[in-house]
Amino acid sequence: MRAEPGGVSARAVFAHPITPPEALYIHTPFCAHKCHYCDFYSFVDTRDQQPAFVERLARELRALAEHTRAGVSLGGGPRAGGRVPLGSVFVGGGTPSLLAPRLWERLLVAIHEHFDLTAPGGVPAEFTVECNPESATPELLRLLRGGGVNRVSMGAQSFHAAHLRTLERIHTPGRVGRAVADARAAGIERVSIDLIYAVPGQSPQDWRADLERALSLSLDHLSCYNLTYEPNTAMTVRLARGEFVPAPEDDELAMFDLAEELLTAAGLTRYEVSNYARGGIHGPHACRHNLAYWRQGGWLAAGPSASGHLRVRGGAAPSGVRWKNAPRLDTYLSRDDGGLAPVCDLEPPDPARALRERLMTGLRLSEGVDALAAAADAEAAAPGSAARLRHCAQELVSDGLLGVHGQRWALTRRGWPLADFVARRMMSRVGEP
Amino acid sequence: MQIRNFSIIAHIDHGKSTLADRLLQATNAVSEREMRAQLLDSMDIERERGITIKASAVTVLHRHRGSDFMLNFIDTPGHVDFNYEVSRALKACEGAILVVDATQGVQAQTVVNAYLAINENLELIPVINKVDLPSARPEEVAMEVEQVLGLKAEDCLLVSAKTGRGVPELLEAICDRLPAPRLAVVPQTRALIFDAQYDDYRGVVTYCRVFDGAANPQIGELGRVASGATGSLKVGDKIRMIGTGRTFQVTDIGKMNPKPVRVPAVGPGETCYLVAAIRSLADVRIGDTVTLDIDPAAEALPGYKPPVQMVFCDFYPATSAESKGADFEKLREAIEKLSLNDSSFTFIPVHSEALGFGLRCGFLGLLHMEIIQERLEREFQTEVVQTAPTVTYKVKLHDGTSIDVNNPAEMPRGGTYEQVLEPICKVEVICPNESIGEVMKLCSERRAEFKTQQVIGETRQMVSFEIPLAEIIYDFYDKLKAMTSGYGTMDYEVVDFRPNDLVKVDILINGEPVEALSLICHRQNAEFRGRLLLRKLQKQIDRHQFEIPLQAAIGGKIVARETIKAFRKDVTAKCYGGDVSRKRKLLEKQKEGKKKMKAIGRVEIPQEAFMAVLDQGE
Ligand SMILES: Nc1nc2c(ncn2[C@@H]2O[C@H](COP(=O)(O)OP(=O)(O)O)[C@@H](O)[C@H]2O)c(=O)[nH]1
Ligand code: SF4
Repeated sequence: MRAEPGGVSARAVFAHPITPPEALYIHTPFCAHKCHYCDFYSFVDTRDQQPAFVERLARELRALAEHTRAGVSLGGGPRAGGRVPLGSVFVGGGTPSLLAPRLWERLLVAIHEHFDLTAPGGVPAEFTVECNPESATPELLRLLRGGGVNRVSMGAQSFHAAHLRTLERIHTPGRVGRAVADARAAGIERVSIDLIYAVPGQSPQDWRADLERALSLSLDHLSCYNLTYEPNTAMTVRLARGEFVPAPEDDELAMFDLAEELLTAAGLTRYEVSNYARGGIHGPHACRHNLAYWRQGGWLAAGPSASGHLRVRGGAAPSGVRWKNAPRLDTYLSRDDGGLAPVCDLEPPDPARALRERLMTGLRLSEGVDALAAAADAEAAAPGSAARLRHCAQELVSDGLLGVHGQRWALTRRGWPLADFVARRMMSRVGEP
Repeated sequence: MQIRNFSIIAHIDHGKSTLADRLLQATNAVSEREMRAQLLDSMDIERERGITIKASAVTVLHRHRGSDFMLNFIDTPGHVDFNYEVSRALKACEGAILVVDATQGVQAQTVVNAYLAINENLELIPVINKVDLPSARPEEVAMEVEQVLGLKAEDCLLVSAKTGRGVPELLEAICDRLPAPRLAVVPQTRALIFDAQYDDYRGVVTYCRVFDGAANPQIGELGRVASGATGSLKVGDKIRMIGTGRTFQVTDIGKMNPKPVRVPAVGPGETCYLVAAIRSLADVRIGDTVTLDIDPAAEALPGYKPPVQMVFCDFYPATSAESKGADFEKLREAIEKLSLNDSSFTFIPVHSEALGFGLRCGFLGLLHMEIIQERLEREFQTEVVQTAPTVTYKVKLHDGTSIDVNNPAEMPRGGTYEQVLEPICKVEVICPNESIGEVMKLCSERRAEFKTQQVIGETRQMVSFEIPLAEIIYDFYDKLKAMTSGYGTMDYEVVDFRPNDLVKVDILINGEPVEALSLICHRQNAEFRGRLLLRKLQKQIDRHQFEIPLQAAIGGKIVARETIKAFRKDVTAKCYGGDVSRKRKLLEKQKEGKKKMKAIGRVEIPQEAFMAVLDQGE
């Protein structure tokens, strides 16, 4: 469903009998510079809109909490009074570390006012903030720590000045190590960094150096992304114009393998296509918030362009409602449905679709997907699908792309770089999209 | 009343239609305005290609030296694919006007058509046309006519169909030089069917030339229908086709003047059209003899031969998999309608594993095939995939019997037959002196057997070859045109079937033979042809997660191989909360279930890929 301007707000989401969310994602759209490869909703704030944005965000958080309480009780769940308990919060962007400290204070207060980050059972929620090295100052990091932030995801991307320039990133390689140290000094124990490989001009040797430099920071979590030419980005236009030569596929594959080799040797486990953590998927360092995405958990979304997903009760097979806030700051600021944001996309529950999504994201995880549950849900969603799905899995197993572990299907070492291919195949066996 | 039956024959564009119009105008049959439409051609497509698909006849009355003449212009198709129809039309004539362009000189079709007429013992009047053009070389061209065709140079008439110069002299020559029709030799009616056309309102209209039967006392009374007429054929007669034995009642008889006019009756020597409640062209055989049911002639007129289809290809609907069934029906209907006015092509339904349902069609020749395909697209708006054409092979089996194979899939296994015979054509190529070397090379590459070489004037030569039909159905003509800067002309005629080292080439995808892709060719071309097809396939099949060998094989022995490399990386880097919907949609769009895929073993091939590989047109 696509909403007309002035049309649907997130209110439609809460008409469904939802189960309690596990997570909350907050999107801040401001950046110091728009990197040419980036397709996130972000821009350089030239009109000092940050204060208005944070005020608006606070109203949305209040509304989300209220509607969550009502929606959950609608679904027959226990009526939770007071703050909504969450397992994780993730503030991403854009560049959240660019928000002025006093606005951060305001935002942190709002979060804690409506959401309970200590529950359940007194285990503190995982609270991650994305930071860019250049704006993650010791003061800000201390402030965040004071506000309950216990995890930082640092946008390092590369330790090589030329490649940073190719990506149009504005920090210097040396800045990353300092920012990581500052975060730790502030008391934020969990620090992860993002790296990008297959940058035009980058050799596998360069990539090895990046990985080694990252490992020298004694990290427990690392994300390694193959540079992607997203449609409608400036860099993709430049690629099409032939302004540079992209990394050859063989190099991409070599770098993909190199990351796994070096990080595994250093004690980190690949638990998702692009994510590595000490202790793997079940350990304490895996990103709990992202796992909620990949395991089809429920999460609330706040801020322009943020996407949410809430599971709904009832139905033959698990399903949920997905939505996306309109990706425009001015509409977000001007249209305010009792605090809720305008929505540009809203997908009602559909068990077949939900299963295809589960296959798609689940197969990207080291744990894979539960074969029995998937087959049962396939059958419930579209009769005849279970046998097709099993047969397809068998073929993929005989091709050496899929392995069977207990009752789960998971990608083999050869299967990792073909995750989309495997997903496409298996998804196509479930009903009609 | 004297009668003259004649055809105009010419190489394409030498002015046959213009001259026909001019002659009609000179006999006052058509006004200036009507003349603008070239009357003997009736279908659009003919006008565009400058060729004639169907022969028809026009009758005019003319006074010459105090006598009345009835002139019957019998139109012939311009191309030798319709050789059989040309010779049927010529059988209805006593003479022919051979038109040669004064700037172009004798061309391949001039030669082939002249020979056809000479073989029918027709009196020829050579006409050098377009003498009004500054570049006209009438004397030289007249010498060519003498050199190549053995017709005397001084007998050539110099004409401009454009200005009308020489046309009165031509009319005189028609009356003076062409022989009168022979007299009836039996009292029973015998008329040759030399053409038949389908009319949406009137059903089948047949064109006849009467040879025998009762005389027509009212000859020359065009447009007047009197009761109690006598003659060989008249309205109300019950006619019988001697070949098929079928009978019909004549409902209308007349002539084209050039508009249709009724006549009371026709007698020996005359031509006419005849409407007799014949529903379908399949009920009429061109070349058959019409007689009267009440008093049938004992014997048919000599020389009937059924038309022989020499070139075959499949048509499949060129549409998405979903609408396939309906599109096939649409295609079949269109072909059925087309066959109403062209009974010389055949069609049978075929089912290809790769392409689904289609029609295997047989044509008289290459041009015939092109015309049908074009008419399908133009008149019926059906988009078709046309597979590469094949010829008919005769396979001699051990038991002495032989079978016709026009589909590689029907080729018997190696060892189960004695030999394979292929159709051989006699080809005449006329080209400028400077390209003769290249033309010879092209021919020798195509397994041609050189026959004769003759100079034509100072600048050109004619070479004759015998060459397997299979070698010229691809790109021979295009190549010839290219290497002679457009000046080369050729014509061909199937003359024989001869044994050769012909093999079936199997195409294997990942080790599995794919019948729909197999082909028959000479052993020495197998590797080249096989590789060409493999390369096309290679472009069409998506990479898989494993390497896919593509092979061409003769009886299990691999003669060409290509591979489709395995893809090794197909994964999105990021898939977070906001990416789920977008990425799911992307994967669903790409997923193979969306496209109609054909699985050959473990290889998934889009239906479109087969089409692209098999489709003739690039
Ligand atoms: N200058 C000139 N052009 C002619 C003459 N006769 C025909 N043409 C042109 O030659 C072309 C081919 O003539 P057409 O009658 O269609 O040839 P067909 O293919 O033999 O029927 C047309 O453009 C005619 O106008 C002629 O005597 N003089
Ligand atoms: S800093 Fe991050 S969010 Fe901002 S433009 Fe660059 S890549 Fe995009």
